[in-house]
Amino acid sequence: MDACLAVEKEIDRVLSKFGDINENTGRILADLIAHIESLKTEIENAPEDHTLTNVQIDILKQCMGKVRETVSRLTTDHRDLHSTVSKVGKAIDRNFVADFAATSREDVFASSEKINLINKVICQHLYRQGMQDVADALMADADIAPEIHNKEPFTELNHILDSLKNKDLEPALAWATAHHASLEAQNSSLEFKLHRLKFIELLRQDIQTLMGMLLYVPNGIGSSPYSCLLDSEMWLEIYELFTHDACQLLGVSVNSPLGTCINAGCTAIPALLNIKQVMMQRQVTGIWNGKDELPIEIDMGSDGRYHSMFACPILRQQSTQNNPPMRLICGHVISRDALNKLCNGNKMKCPYCPIEQSPSDARLIYF
Amino acid sequence: MADLKSLEHPTLKVPYEILNKKYRTAQKTFDREASHVTQAADKIEETISSSNVKARDITSLLGGMVEKLQVLKRKAEESISEELAASNVCKRRLEHLKERETLTASGALSQGAVNQWRRKRLDRMVVEYFLRNGYYNAAITLAEKSDIKDLTNIDIFLTSREVEKSLSNHETAKCLLWCYDNKSKLRKLKSNMEFNLRIQEFVELIRSDRRMDAIKHARKHFPSFEKEHLNTIQQVMALLAFPVNTEIVPYKALLDETRWDILIEEFRQENYRLFQLAEQSVFTVALQAGLSALKTPYPFCYSENSENKNPSCPVCQPCLNQLAEPLPFAHCSQSRLYCHISGLPLNENNLPMMLPNGYIYGEQALEQMAKDNNGQIICPKTKEIFPFKKVEKVYVM
Repeated sequence: MDACLAVEKEIDRVLSKFGDINENTGRILADLIAHIESLKTEIENAPEDHTLTNVQIDILKQCMGKVRETVSRLTTDHRDLHSTVSKVGKAIDRNFVADFAATSREDVFASSEKINLINKVICQHLYRQGMQDVADALMADADIAPEIHNKEPFTELNHILDSLKNKDLEPALAWATAHHASLEAQNSSLEFKLHRLKFIELLRQDIQTLMGMLLYVPNGIGSSPYSCLLDSEMWLEIYELFTHDACQLLGVSVNSPLGTCINAGCTAIPALLNIKQVMMQRQVTGIWNGKDELPIEIDMGSDGRYHSMFACPILRQQSTQNNPPMRLICGHVISRDALNKLCNGNKMKCPYCPIEQSPSDARLIYF
Repeated sequence: MADLKSLEHPTLKVPYEILNKKYRTAQKTFDREASHVTQAADKIEETISSSNVKARDITSLLGGMVEKLQVLKRKAEESISEELAASNVCKRRLEHLKERETLTASGALSQGAVNQWRRKRLDRMVVEYFLRNGYYNAAITLAEKSDIKDLTNIDIFLTSREVEKSLSNHETAKCLLWCYDNKSKLRKLKSNMEFNLRIQEFVELIRSDRRMDAIKHARKHFPSFEKEHLNTIQQVMALLAFPVNTEIVPYKALLDETRWDILIEEFRQENYRLFQLAEQSVFTVALQAGLSALKTPYPFCYSENSENKNPSCPVCQPCLNQLAEPLPFAHCSQSRLYCHISGLPLNENNLPMMLPNGYIYGEQALEQMAKDNNGQIICPKTKEIFPFKKVEKVYVM
C-alpha cells in the first residue's frame, strides 16, 4: 500500500501543479492580449498620420516590459515543474522493483517450440474464459492450427454459465438432466440445487404479482425465515457449484491452469527476489544454481498444493526417483539415502525409536 | 503488498516516461513560442525608440504581437492538457493497483473480488505478452473485451508496429523519425540505432549501384558518428570498391538482407529501453516462477504413471508440463502429505496408513471404504484387494 501511496502523492502534486499552471497561463495571457488589443484600438482611433506622443511611447514601453516579464515567467514556471515531474519517476523506482526478472532465466521460453506451447496454453485458457474471439485472433496472429476438441466442452459450459449470469436456469437444468447418472455417481447436489432455485424463481414470479397484497402484510416475506432463499447469493452459489461439478465431471481442473500458475508465480516472485537480494548481500550467489530446485519454500496456501511431498526428516531433502521414501519396521519413514547412511554393517537403529533392525526389512512406500 | 511492488514497475513506469516526454516537448514549445513573442516585443521597442513613430506602423506591429500571444496561449493550453492527460493515465493505473490493497484489507468476504482482480491482472499480462510477440490483433481484442485498454501499453506498441512494418519493407524513414523524436533520450542511452540505419541506407545505395549518391550520403551523415564508430565507417566505406555480389567476408555480410531483421530486433530492444521495459515480459517471468513453485520432482508431475497426476494440478497439464520441464522444482523441507482418495491432508486427525503393497492413504478414507466393502480395501492405484486389518501405521516426521 505504501508503495502506491508514495507514488500517488507525487502524481497528485503533478496534477495539481499542472492544473494551476493551466489556469494561470490561460488567464494571464488572456489579460495580456486584451490589454494590448485595447492599446491597439486606442492608437487606431487616432487620425491617419498621427505621430505617437511621448506618453503613448511610455505606455507602449511599459507594456512591452510587461509582455517580456509575463512570458519569461510562464516559461520559468513551467520549467520549474521539472523536479515535480521527475520525482514521480524516482518514487516509482524507489517503491517498485524494476528488475523483476532477476530470478528467471531468459533462455527457457525463448525457442519457437516453447513459444508455441505458451500460445497453446493461452488459447486453452481463453476458451475456458469464453473469450473465443480473442483465441481466434491469437491463432490467426500466431499461426496456430486450431484444435477443435479443446474448445467443445468449454463452448457449451460457457454458454450455460452465461445463461446463469442472466438468471436463466434452463440450459443448466438440461445439462444436469443429461448428465444425471454421472452427477449422481459424484454425489453432487447440483441437480437438486438447480431445481430448488427453479422452484424459488417460479414462486417469486407469483410473489411479484401478489406484491401489492404483500405490502399489507405486516411481516412481509422479506423478513420471514425463508428470506435467505430469495437472496441473490443463491445465484452466485449455483454458478460456482455448476463450474465446480461440471469441471470435475469433464475431468478438467476447476480453475484455469494458466491462472493458477500465474497466481502462484505472483506469490513466488517477491519471495524469490528477496532471497536473491539476501544472497547477494551475503555474497553467496553461487548457491543459487537455479537448475534443479528453488532455494526456498514458497507458501502457496492450503489450496495451492496438488501432490504429496515427502521430505526426508534426516537429510531434509525431497524424495526423488533415486532416493525414495522407505518405511522402517517400526513405522517411521526416512529416505533411502538416509537409511544407507545410518547402516552399520547389517544392522541399523531407527533414529526415532530404540528398535534395532536390518536395513533390508525397510520397504519402499508410495504416497 | 509485495506482489504489486515486485511486478507492477512497468505498469507505472511506462506512463511516467510518456509524461516525462510530453513535459519536455511542452517545455520546448513554451520556449519557442515565448521567444517569438519576445522578438515581436524587440521589434516594437526598436520602432518606438526612433523618432516620429507613425501610428499605422505601430498598430500593425501590435496586431502581430497579439497574434503571437494567441498562438502561445493556444499551444500552452494544448501542451498542458496533454501533460494532464498523461498524468491521469498514471493516476488511473495507481487507482487500479490500489484496488488490490483495499480488497485484501476488507477481509475474507471479498475473495471473489480478489479473484476478479487477479483475472484482470492475468489479462493485462497476456496483453503485454501478445504485444511483445507482435500479436497485435489478439492484444487489442483482449484489451477491449476485458476493458483494460488504459491499463496496458498498447499505444506505444502500436507506434512501434508501424516502425517495424516499415523496416520490414526496407524503409528507414519511419524509424529515423522515431530516432529524431526520442533524440535526447536515445543519446543518453548511447543508442546506435540512428547510426545503424544510416549505414543500412548507405548499403542500400551501393546495392542499387548509386555509388555517387552513396558518397554524398556518407559525407552528409557519417561525420557526426566519426568519433565513436570510425572503424565501422572505414569498413563500410570500403564497400564502394566492391561489386554487389562480392564473396569477400565482411562485405558479403554487410550486403546481407537479413541485416534488416537485425535492425528490427535492435529497434524493439531500444524501444523497450526507452520506456524502461524489461527484456522479458512480466507474463513469462510470472509463468516461470509459478511453474517452478508448483512443480514436484518425484513421483507426480513427471511420472509415467498417469494415475499419479492430479487433473487440478497445472503442471500435470500436457502443455504446461512440457514448459516446466527445464525449470527448477519447488523446495520443500517439511513433508506435506495428502490422501489420494479423499484429497484431505494427512495429519494426526487423518493418520497416514500403508497397505501391504506399500501405498499410503488416509485413515478416514480407508475406514470408510472398509465399512462400505465388508472390511475389504481395494487399492485405487493397483486394484489389489486387502483386508482392512492388514493396514499398517506409518509415522512421518
